[in-house]
Amino acid sequence: MGDIMKTIIHDLDESYDLLFKKKYENVIFANGKYAPCQGCFGCWTKHPAQCYLKDALQTVCRQIGKAEELIIITENCYGAYSPAVKNVLDRSIGVSTPFSTYRGKQMHHTLRYGRKEKLTIYTYGHITKEEEKTFRYMLERNAINYGFREFEFHYLENLKQLEEME
Amino acid sequence: MMKTVLINGSPKKRLSVSSYLLGIVGLLVKGEVVKEQVRNSGDYERILNSLVDADNVVFGVPLYVDGVPSHMLAFMKEMEKFCVEKKIRLRLYVVSNGGFIEGSQNKALMQIYENFCKHCDFEWHGGVGIGGGVMLNVMRIMFFAYAGLFVLNTITAGLTAALPIFAEQLFVILFFSCAAILYCLRMGFAVNKGAGYGVKFTRILLPSFLFILAADIFFVIISIFQGGIFRGWLKRK
Repeated sequence: MGDIMKTIIHDLDESYDLLFKKKYENVIFANGKYAPCQGCFGCWTKHPAQCYLKDALQTVCRQIGKAEELIIITENCYGAYSPAVKNVLDRSIGVSTPFSTYRGKQMHHTLRYGRKEKLTIYTYGHITKEEEKTFRYMLERNAINYGFREFEFHYLENLKQLEEME
Repeated sequence: MMKTVLINGSPKKRLSVSSYLLGIVGLLVKGEVVKEQVRNSGDYERILNSLVDADNVVFGVPLYVDGVPSHMLAFMKEMEKFCVEKKIRLRLYVVSNGGFIEGSQNKALMQIYENFCKHCDFEWHGGVGIGGGVMLNVMRIMFFAYAGLFVLNTITAGLTAALPIFAEQLFVILFFSCAAILYCLRMGFAVNKGAGYGVKFTRILLPSFLFILAADIFFVIISIFQGGIFRGWLKRK
């Protein structure tokens, strides 16, 4: 199976889901109905890159890991991802291996799928200055953890902007 | 009487690092101390009702992908609604732990809780982010194993033979864990005074290159037992 150019994670609704699916091959709809990560590390130690919870997110780390570019569209929640989007990310730690190394002078896990191009966040909903600062900082940390070379942060005043997204 | 609710945000039923750390924070907290755990939405009503007459909340959370675990974020949104509606004002403290050795990797999580406090009109009283959570837990489990061996040794070989061995083992465990334990105890004092604690970071007292080596060995052993190492452990899937 060849690598994926772009993977999109979003927490919008069915109509946006259809819109994205027309444009992109890999769209993950964080609808808030999935079970949360149980912290068992099975996706590292028992059945690599696969969650023991048998739902649509069981191999979501592969969809994320193989993408050169990851785009996340999320409602702001205290300067972080919405619970629905965070659920997808928590279930995707199989993108890395259980092995640890130094990256950026700190301890991080080695990457199962290697370095990637770009992580882009589009956030919407009410956001304060402090929350934007938190979000940008967390994004920088996420980019290191996931192995993205670049990252971008965008705030969406209006969801209509998404219709013009490349 | 002062009431403090300790809310464990680990999804694990037993032996979570978060419950261990909350247990230490709670040791010296005076007044009524209630221990709760958020595992799914079925827990919300019970926990929210326990906040009505509370003064302090201490969250104990594991670090997931540089932030708060998703099931905990979902609970926090409900807690915000509930507390704003009922005008419940609390003093909030956080103790978080991450698998990486650097405690400072919990920094974004602390900021998320500070932002949460502004939404709820709570007093943000700070927190401690601890690095090397899994190892802290291994140390705790080893303590019980050593204590068991000590009892056995005392029965078979006598106290004078058993005690020095146990004392040495205890010393090693305490040495590595002491910073995390002391920071948690200090949080308990801050809770008693209703004082701010600030945002602090600490860790297992092991140099990072040794910690990484220990973590790698730990995962090799676990993965041999669970079989992952024979199923394309590090491979692309």
